Amino acid sequence: MSIQIERGAIVAVARGSQRARLPGMAMVDSMGVVWKHWVESFRKNRGFSDIHGTFTQEYPEEPAKIPEAYRNMPVLLYDDETGHELCTSCYQCARICPPQVIHMTQAKDPVTGKAVPAVAEFVIEYDACMSCGFCAEVCPFDSIKMDQVFELSTDDRPSLTVFKHDLGRPISYYAGIAPNLWAEAKESALKKLQNSIKRRPDVLGIAPHLTEKIAARRRELAAAAAAAPPPVAAPPADAPAAAKKLTPEEKAAKLAAMRAGKGATPAAPAVEAPAAPAAEPASPADEKAAKLAAIRAKNAAAKGDVAPAAPAAPASPADEKAAKLAAIRAKNAAAKGEVAPAAPVAPAAPASPADEKAAKLAAIRAKNAAAKGEVAPAAPAAEPPAAPLDEKAARLAAIRAKNAAKQPDDASGPE
Amino acid sequence: MLKTEELQINIGPQHPSTHGVFRMLVTVDGETIMDLKPVFGYLHRNHEQIAEQNTYLQNMPYTDRLDYFNSMANNHAYALAVEKLVGIEVPERAEYIRVLMVELTRILNHAGALGFLINDMGMWQTQLAFGMREREKILDLFESASGARLMCNYFRFGGVARDLPADFMPRLADLLKAMPGFVDEMERLLRDNEILMQRSEGIGILPRDLALAYSVTGPVLRGSGVAYDVRKAEPYSIYDRFDFDVPVGSVGDVYDRFLVRVEEMRQSRRIIEQIVAQLPDATGSHINPKARQNVKPPVGDVYGRVESPKGELGFYLVSDGSGKPYRYKVRAPSFINLTPLGDMCRGYKVADVVVILGSIDIVMGEVDR
Ligand code: SF4
Ligand code: SF4
Repeated sequence: MSIQIERGAIVAVARGSQRARLPGMAMVDSMGVVWKHWVESFRKNRGFSDIHGTFTQEYPEEPAKIPEAYRNMPVLLYDDETGHELCTSCYQCARICPPQVIHMTQAKDPVTGKAVPAVAEFVIEYDACMSCGFCAEVCPFDSIKMDQVFELSTDDRPSLTVFKHDLGRPISYYAGIAPNLWAEAKESALKKLQNSIKRRPDVLGIAPHLTEKIAARRRELAAAAAAAPPPVAAPPADAPAAAKKLTPEEKAAKLAAMRAGKGATPAAPAVEAPAAPAAEPASPADEKAAKLAAIRAKNAAAKGDVAPAAPAAPASPADEKAAKLAAIRAKNAAAKGEVAPAAPVAPAAPASPADEKAAKLAAIRAKNAAAKGEVAPAAPAAEPPAAPLDEKAARLAAIRAKNAAKQPDDASGPE
Repeated sequence: MLKTEELQINIGPQHPSTHGVFRMLVTVDGETIMDLKPVFGYLHRNHEQIAEQNTYLQNMPYTDRLDYFNSMANNHAYALAVEKLVGIEVPERAEYIRVLMVELTRILNHAGALGFLINDMGMWQTQLAFGMREREKILDLFESASGARLMCNYFRFGGVARDLPADFMPRLADLLKAMPGFVDEMERLLRDNEILMQRSEGIGILPRDLALAYSVTGPVLRGSGVAYDVRKAEPYSIYDRFDFDVPVGSVGDVYDRFLVRVEEMRQSRRIIEQIVAQLPDATGSHINPKARQNVKPPVGDVYGRVESPKGELGFYLVSDGSGKPYRYKVRAPSFINLTPLGDMCRGYKVADVVVILGSIDIVMGEVDR
């Protein structure tokens, strides 16, 4: 039976013809099919167009066949040669991510405090990522790409919160797993990267684990500063007068010189600030701590407040954090015109990495509270040495707090 | 004088034959089902509420997770709804790719569904393994185009995420060549098979009027003899360009539903062959270059529906003019097809319940949402 309709027909399906045949014949027929398959099962399937033979892939021994488009988890690319990351922290991926598992903080120029097209920290919660691929699709800089490694099972769940250090992959790696996709993106990606690099001061934007690239970049910067034209070497007294007349190139050169020289000389702009720690030419950690403290002191001074003395002790990495913390608090308090609570972090406390993170977290909390016009509670400094698990959680919380602070806070702002 | 007593038992929620976490509260008298109440909700994931917190585009990968057998069909229904709401044009080539993917989905869904049905009847794994064979081939194709086998997330507003890879069409041609073999073999193995017929003929009859009263759709409705297929009733996309038949059953039992699905696989193949012939001439690219993904539809509401392999899948969206849907409702075929289960099972034996449930072809991810 069938009824013609537009472009087709309505057909009644034919029910079985069992009764028209000898009983049992259909079973014999069925057995024939199964027999055929059994015979075929002694040879291997030869590929996509072959529909017979065993299809089983002996997976762990035989590597899985993965097409180029396959996507699993997102990773961040960096340039093989310069070590520069492609990401500019434009937040496009974080905004589109359906489960909202991407978090990041933008890198800031340590001297001018301005945002730089580079990313300071980048976190993806792999355990909640739904592998949708949107982040890779929207990224205008082709920085975030979908990896094809799928053997991620672990019983250590916190390890699935992945930070920039572990997200980084060289471009050559991605070009290897997805040659066609990379070929499409390559040209614009590299052009945009060159643009970003031009706007990245110091070693910002270089993948943190590429220490030799960072060192090379430092040498390069130092050489550039040494070769800088005379106006840079002009006595500081003249500088304010000359400032207006400096050409952009001169300005850039001067800035470079300042940066290159920061380890050796006390940070020049911070003269009015009390107790800016003049660090001896020291280990990179000291250098950094000093630099940070100097800049913050300067900022605070610019607002006419007295910055609290930053701990200038020979800094271990933990001290560095403490200094940073104190500086941030001072800055915030100054911005609000309040009295900064004495930073309760004992600089001498031999801090384990966990403490360090806890301190950072406390600092950010304090900052947020301050932003809401409250008095920052004294940060609980001497928390018991925490397990690495806490460390990660704290770090994550800090970044989230920071992001939340950045957004206009209409939910909790009773103004 | 022997006296019987009615007994209430639970089948599920954890039971291998319930196709997910689903509970049936069964009242039995001996082996006979006196009453059956389907109890859903064990897999509730707050899908609709989550969707109202997301932007329109962010919902696309969530629709994959409704009926995880048919993510392409779900994507299609959702994309259609949003495109209707915003007024986005879809290029011809994109339409062909979409229909191609959806029809491949129908084949793989039915191959799997019939495999599981036969499994439930006690022909343990044989047909399922054969069915998985074609399913795997199709999933390989999906993976090469969209990047994932199940959670494809391939559709975008105004087209599809990326064009077909170079080796897609040759592989598809290979598959099409092999396909009649698959389906014929399945028929030869099963259609006249005495065991299958004894387990399915006259079992789980859903009369035509009852099917209509429950607004059942898809192969279940067609098995009951109602020739209703959204692709014919309200041709969406470019379905009005293809010749294909609508198979219907005559009795409305499990056997009819089985036969309707086998025939639908053939018809899908017919459509795919027409697509393969017409695709090279299609104009436009895989996506409308002017379509914004970050849509902000005007105030209004819309209902977009497709014939998913399981029945009519619809998305009802209300927009308040912002970037997020104000209301997002899914008309899930599995859910509505499951409601007459009590009527279908009453009077049959306990062992039939499993087969009847298998013949509805449900996915709990879609039922509970
Ligand atoms: S990964 Fe890409 S989209 Fe995400 S912030 Fe970096 S540049 Fe922007
Ligand atoms: S793949 Fe999807 S879920 Fe995962 S991080 Fe990217 S956007 Fe978020």
